[in-house]
Amino acid sequence: MTKLRHLVWMLIATGALVLSTSQGFAQNRPDADEPGLIADDSYELDPEWQKQVVYYRTNEAPGTIIVSTAERHLYLVQGNGRALRYGIGVGRDGFQWQGLVTITRKAEWPDWVPPPEMIARQPYLPRFMAGGPGNPLGARAMYLGTTVYRIHGTNRPDTIGTAISSGCFRLVNADVADLYNRVPVGTKVIIRQKPEL
Amino acid sequence: MRTFRGGLTIGLAIAALVAAAAITYERYDTRTLKRTVRRGDVLCGVNKGLPGFSIPDDKGNWTGFDVDFCRAVASAIFDDPTKAKFVPLDASERFKELQNRKVDILSRNSTWSMSRETNYDLYFPAVAYYDGQGFMIPRSRNIDSALDLNGSKVCVQANTTTQLNLADYFRANNMKYTEMKFDKLDDVVKAYDSGQCDTLTSDASQLYALRLNLSKPNDHTILADIISKEPLAPVVRLRDDDWMMIVKWTLYAMINAEELGITSKNIDEALKSKKPEVMRLVGTEGAYGEDLGLTKDWAVRIIRHVGNYGEVYDRNVGADSKLKIPRGMNQLWSAGGVQYAPPIR
Repeated sequence: MTKLRHLVWMLIATGALVLSTSQGFAQNRPDADEPGLIADDSYELDPEWQKQVVYYRTNEAPGTIIVSTAERHLYLVQGNGRALRYGIGVGRDGFQWQGLVTITRKAEWPDWVPPPEMIARQPYLPRFMAGGPGNPLGARAMYLGTTVYRIHGTNRPDTIGTAISSGCFRLVNADVADLYNRVPVGTKVIIRQKPEL
Repeated sequence: MRTFRGGLTIGLAIAALVAAAAITYERYDTRTLKRTVRRGDVLCGVNKGLPGFSIPDDKGNWTGFDVDFCRAVASAIFDDPTKAKFVPLDASERFKELQNRKVDILSRNSTWSMSRETNYDLYFPAVAYYDGQGFMIPRSRNIDSALDLNGSKVCVQANTTTQLNLADYFRANNMKYTEMKFDKLDDVVKAYDSGQCDTLTSDASQLYALRLNLSKPNDHTILADIISKEPLAPVVRLRDDDWMMIVKWTLYAMINAEELGITSKNIDEALKSKKPEVMRLVGTEGAYGEDLGLTKDWAVRIIRHVGNYGEVYDRNVGADSKLKIPRGMNQLWSAGGVQYAPPIR
């Protein structure tokens, strides 16, 4: 069964890859989704984007997630003036949003069903892609409220620290798996934007 | 005889008063801004060579956080960052040279403390960089709090406040440690690098610089805990309020600019903003700079030539520098840190 599943996603991935290379480069895809690309687990992040405990003063309770899109950092509040900080990739201009949500669902190696609005913008994307190492959602996903946005892994660790997604927050797979194990469904997620002029 | 003595006393008293007045007049300099403008440059006392804060290259070009702050002051006054001239000063001579008017401002990683203000007749207008003592550990130890350091062998420089803070911190938290002290900082680092200690303690900004010289820098990390207060601030002479205000508000303009999202890259866009806070900072509403004796666009000059606080931090000591010191306490108050500037209005 797992073998079959493996085969199916390999096929989809290959198809998607062919599609993306034939059309993608010509269109200069804005978000650098690369379905089918196997994540390079040995990729070393710049120190700025590596998971680390940092000084962080906040009134929010320990266990709260605070996403700072301008900084490209996700903080998991630890209390005592500290937070666990992860490097993230965030939404490109026009795909950034702000507010308070909660984690409503968690999934390991999630399937990817790009929402219709994303398909409309990027018709070369697959309509469905089963979970696995070539899936742009990566190793874990945490669904945010009733939005189409998630905190998820990635098969493109080189995009951490950039603003290219369609509004999701991506972490490298090792980090998203670490975060996944630390936060339950119901966790408060605060998303902060850079100020507008 | 009596009247003569009385007259003498009165005479002496008057003489003493006149002398005191003259000394007071001499002692307090209130003309730094005027002199600076007449001379056409700002003389900045800086560290002779501290990576990230102030260091000259082989062509004599200065870079660093402290250097950029001086350029920001020069930009506010002259609209030209090259009008900042750097005078390298030793730690022992820095305050004296400022009092002697050899420099207009010290921007030289100096800790603001009470006795430095009261004993030297100096004034520290605002904290530019919150530093403090921290701990470096091998990543493999896999701990993330200084409270987990119980039983550690600690490398520390002897006869420093660092050594005293270390003792206080461990005693206060009921922890034991073995002190491995060395007279020279180089020896402290060597001992740590060769594995003689479990941790090395020094000011956090220094730990990041020292880490660069270890045999395997990436195998070491610096804990987020800060156990002492080392607020680094620019310094000016006491009672020269016009000058002090310019130095203080230059820093606050940079911090406010970051909070409002104004950078050296989008400053022209900011000039078209309709947001009142942005308009007041860039001078499209009100004339706050003129009250400082500068121009309406004083803050625009700073941001255009030098950048906002975050840009200066990242470029010199933060993510875009070799040191890569996390923002920590120097993050804005609204983003997890304590950097907080009063509003411009």
